[in-house]
Amino acid sequence: MIAFIVRRLVTSFFVLLAATMVIFGLTSIAGDPLADLRELPGADGERRMADRIERMHLDDPVWLRYLNWLTGLFRGYLGVNRDGQDVGVMLGDALSATLQLVLAATVLAVVIGVCVGIISALRQYSSFDYGVTLAAFVCFSLPLFWVAVMLKQYIAISFNDWLRDPAIPPTVIVVLALIAGLIWAAIAIGDRKVKLIAFGAGAAITAVILTLLSVTGWFADPGIGLIGLAILAGGTAVGLSMLISGLQYRGPLYAALAAAGLGVLLSEILTPVLADPSWAEIFGLALATVIICIALGYGLGGLLRQQAITGAVLTGLITGGLIFVDRLLQSFASYSDMVRGRPISTIGAGTPNFKGDFWQTNLDSAGHLLLPSMALVLISLATYTRYSRSSMLEVMNLDYVRTARAKGLPERTVITKHAFRNGMIPITTLMAVDFASVIGGAVVTENVFGWQGMGTLFTTGLQQVDPAPVMAFFIVSGTAIVVFNMLADIVYAYLDPRIRLS
Amino acid sequence: MSHRRRLGRLVAAVAGGSLLLSACAQSGGGTSEPSSSASPAGTAQTITYAGEQEFNSYNSISVNNLVNSAAMQRVQAGFWYYGENGEVTPDKDFGTYQKTADSPLTIEYEFNAKAVWSDGTPIDCDDAMLYWAAKSGKIKGFQVDGTTGVELTKVPDCNAGDKKFVLEYSEPFADWQSNGPGATSVLPAHVATKAAGMSEADFIAAVKAQDADKLAGVIKFYNEGWTIDGGLKDMSLYPASGPYKIASMAPGQSLTLAANDKWWGTPAATPNIVLRVISQEEQAQALQNREVNLIEPQPNPDLLAQLEGMQGVTVKTGDAYTYEHLDFNFDSSEFKDKRLRQAFAKCVPRQLIVDNLIKPLAPQAQVLQVRNVLPFQPDYNTVVQGSGAEAYADVDIEGAKKLLEEAGKVGMEVKLGHNEPNPRRTQETQLIADSCGKAGFKVVDGGAETFFEAGGALGTNGYDVALFAWTGSSEVSGWSSTYSTPKECSENGKENNNGCYSNKEVDDLIKQLNAEVDTTKHPGLIAQIEKVLWDDVATIPLFAHPNLLAWDEKLQNIVPNPAQSSVTWNMDKWTLAS
Repeated sequence: MIAFIVRRLVTSFFVLLAATMVIFGLTSIAGDPLADLRELPGADGERRMADRIERMHLDDPVWLRYLNWLTGLFRGYLGVNRDGQDVGVMLGDALSATLQLVLAATVLAVVIGVCVGIISALRQYSSFDYGVTLAAFVCFSLPLFWVAVMLKQYIAISFNDWLRDPAIPPTVIVVLALIAGLIWAAIAIGDRKVKLIAFGAGAAITAVILTLLSVTGWFADPGIGLIGLAILAGGTAVGLSMLISGLQYRGPLYAALAAAGLGVLLSEILTPVLADPSWAEIFGLALATVIICIALGYGLGGLLRQQAITGAVLTGLITGGLIFVDRLLQSFASYSDMVRGRPISTIGAGTPNFKGDFWQTNLDSAGHLLLPSMALVLISLATYTRYSRSSMLEVMNLDYVRTARAKGLPERTVITKHAFRNGMIPITTLMAVDFASVIGGAVVTENVFGWQGMGTLFTTGLQQVDPAPVMAFFIVSGTAIVVFNMLADIVYAYLDPRIRLS
Repeated sequence: MSHRRRLGRLVAAVAGGSLLLSACAQSGGGTSEPSSSASPAGTAQTITYAGEQEFNSYNSISVNNLVNSAAMQRVQAGFWYYGENGEVTPDKDFGTYQKTADSPLTIEYEFNAKAVWSDGTPIDCDDAMLYWAAKSGKIKGFQVDGTTGVELTKVPDCNAGDKKFVLEYSEPFADWQSNGPGATSVLPAHVATKAAGMSEADFIAAVKAQDADKLAGVIKFYNEGWTIDGGLKDMSLYPASGPYKIASMAPGQSLTLAANDKWWGTPAATPNIVLRVISQEEQAQALQNREVNLIEPQPNPDLLAQLEGMQGVTVKTGDAYTYEHLDFNFDSSEFKDKRLRQAFAKCVPRQLIVDNLIKPLAPQAQVLQVRNVLPFQPDYNTVVQGSGAEAYADVDIEGAKKLLEEAGKVGMEVKLGHNEPNPRRTQETQLIADSCGKAGFKVVDGGAETFFEAGGALGTNGYDVALFAWTGSSEVSGWSSTYSTPKECSENGKENNNGCYSNKEVDDLIKQLNAEVDTTKHPGLIAQIEKVLWDDVATIPLFAHPNLLAWDEKLQNIVPNPAQSSVTWNMDKWTLAS
């Protein structure tokens, strides 16, 4: 394995080196680096051209400029752009902006996409499956800039207007309830009666919840509240136990429930800490949660100790996440006031000069990240849904799954233990490639939502025929692709013993 | 095993019970603190302006980006600024100046006695010396936007700490007012000398001696030290001399100006102005969502309709200090023949061009009748009167045909050069081709991407008629080289007179105008020049470029400004009702 990694690294290095040569050469001959100065009249233009020629070494042949850049690179120096700004600094800013923008969206797309894909595989040829297929293809074919304009108009501008008097009109409630009912009916398995019940229950519950939210003005001053938290955390505990170990085993269930209960309890006890924490404290709390939950699982798990630990830790973390969201939502009203009642933003990475406590600052970031993330998730959701669906279907039809069923294993065990893990192997490749391209930024999204990320660095550099920023972009994104592909191979080997052993 | 199970149950039960209890104790969520609103009742603390380009230098003389001067004009005040309608307006807060002699032209400047940089250093002689050193062109090495005018002055004879200085001209200069140190031109010399490790007295002495070697450190700092490089690192480099000072900057996102507590004049009406970087296409929705309060995008009909459809948004269209015109090639085309120029001027559908292409963007737009005064300027009507423009006010196909027949050039090919891609100019060319086609001209679209470039059609006179725009200003020296006989008709020799137009009378009048220090006599001279230019049909003016402003209607005291300094010229007066 180590020999394999080393071999890969060495070849990748030379591939990258050759690629830098090509990219540098192509960028250098992509146009006239002095184009914008040529229209300046008289001596002024000439002097500024001379300045730029000196700064960019335009008198040297391209290969010499390349070697210059390369020796700089090995000393860790990325050079300056045509205006003399340090490219290293620019790269740092661009990379952090891009990571903020795209990382959350990609993680969300993976989680949601894989979940939806698996459910639609398990309900193959159901109306849910058809619905998801249709939605995935529609989203996939939407042009991003158009989606962005629509999101800005409806999710930001109209939503902010509506927040002044957040009452949901009855017709909207009815329509949403019907849609929710249809989704539930589509997911439910059974005869017509079961489906009807699922439809009725789904629609009714949705209608009641929406009416309650509307009447209480929840959207203007939201929050989950302790009861909501308890219900959601308990539900998570039960649901996870059902998936991981099955409800007939009490140990894991109790461990998960205890984790949920403890979390809800601590959400009140820890109020002094949670009033205005720092990220370090939040990570500390997450770590403490993991340790406590491992202990809970160990103590309460009984025979199924391993599953109990997994279930408890996941429940604990999700409960923690719910508490985090609850706190964020509680700060929503005060944040909204601070930004003149317009919490969802259409542009930029943050309100300029925004000062608030931990929650308000994070709400500000969230308010600015919401639209670009939605746009990115909508469009990349399709790939994950389709891949995980087809891979899951393929696995479900394999002999060993049939054997597992024939042994008499419950369907839950067959899916989660035998099919799921193997079904996910192809997805790892997809994820690796996706994460690598994430580092390269999202040019259109960055442009439409006013983020100065990697994509902007690259396109501006290219337009100005300025190799230094383009090369900085390329070094980072190219290395990311090489590294992530290698990671994918390693993970592959870990997940699939056939590769490791052959 | 069973023991442990029981314990587990107990823990779970306790956990569940306490959960219920605490749920009863405090039901419902979202009890937020009473919000501490950032702004008191009345007016908002912050006004946000959207621009497309990012602020990138504190020194807008060496990095001559419009965004820099627009951002800095109320941070770096000066003896004058482009006020309403783009007129040169004295800034009495900053200091006073007056003409003390006509021959030689002598202007005496005096900084306000209370004038200090925001770091406490008085604004005085050394700052004037830095202005002169950079702008006079007599000390090599400074990167500046131009040296016209200041190059005629003698080095000011002031000493460290003096509040007064004098600019003495070697010859009369019409634009002496705007030639003095104006807004964004007075930079803090003490910052530059400190960076160069020079004392104030040494610096002043070196400027008086015009010693570029001694000043090398200052020159280097002047050219490079004020460039913004990934954010503001050392705030002491950017002191302010106006109502606002630079407060902070988020690279790629925004620049924040805060009221300058050391400002001695009328305090800024709103404590913070944020200049956000937002691309053209995204500005309208950002305004609608009130993330910005004021936008100044390039006009287009769809955008105008979108903005006018928004609630609570004021939209204002107006003229910019840029005008579109047709230039004849006097050097290498048939248009050396005056009859052909007259015929062409008669068939160009100027009203139609304005009606079809400009009015949808700016309903008040009109055909431009003269070249060097624009419709929003007070002297416009005086200059138009008797300029001879009325002879070409309407399309006269018959008249054009007759002249063309007289010259014996019916069916002559006219290559109309302009830059591409520029859809509006392509449409203008189309309208001209249709109309002049009826008169017997065969207009060919000579649009090219390389039109403006070195070696392109404009420089090498590879056109018969050229279609482009000049940026104007209220100064008369700005356009003197456009109509004066060029030194030689070559790419470098002809300066702005691209068609190599030449008329002795115009040359004399322009010389006279540039030497006329009494501004009240300017309109009369300009009118005479315009009359000759129409008699010769030297160029055909078409229209002033439209500009567009839109702002939150709660915003007060927004006054559009056609000059390049843009709407930010009076930002210290802006208020936003909350």
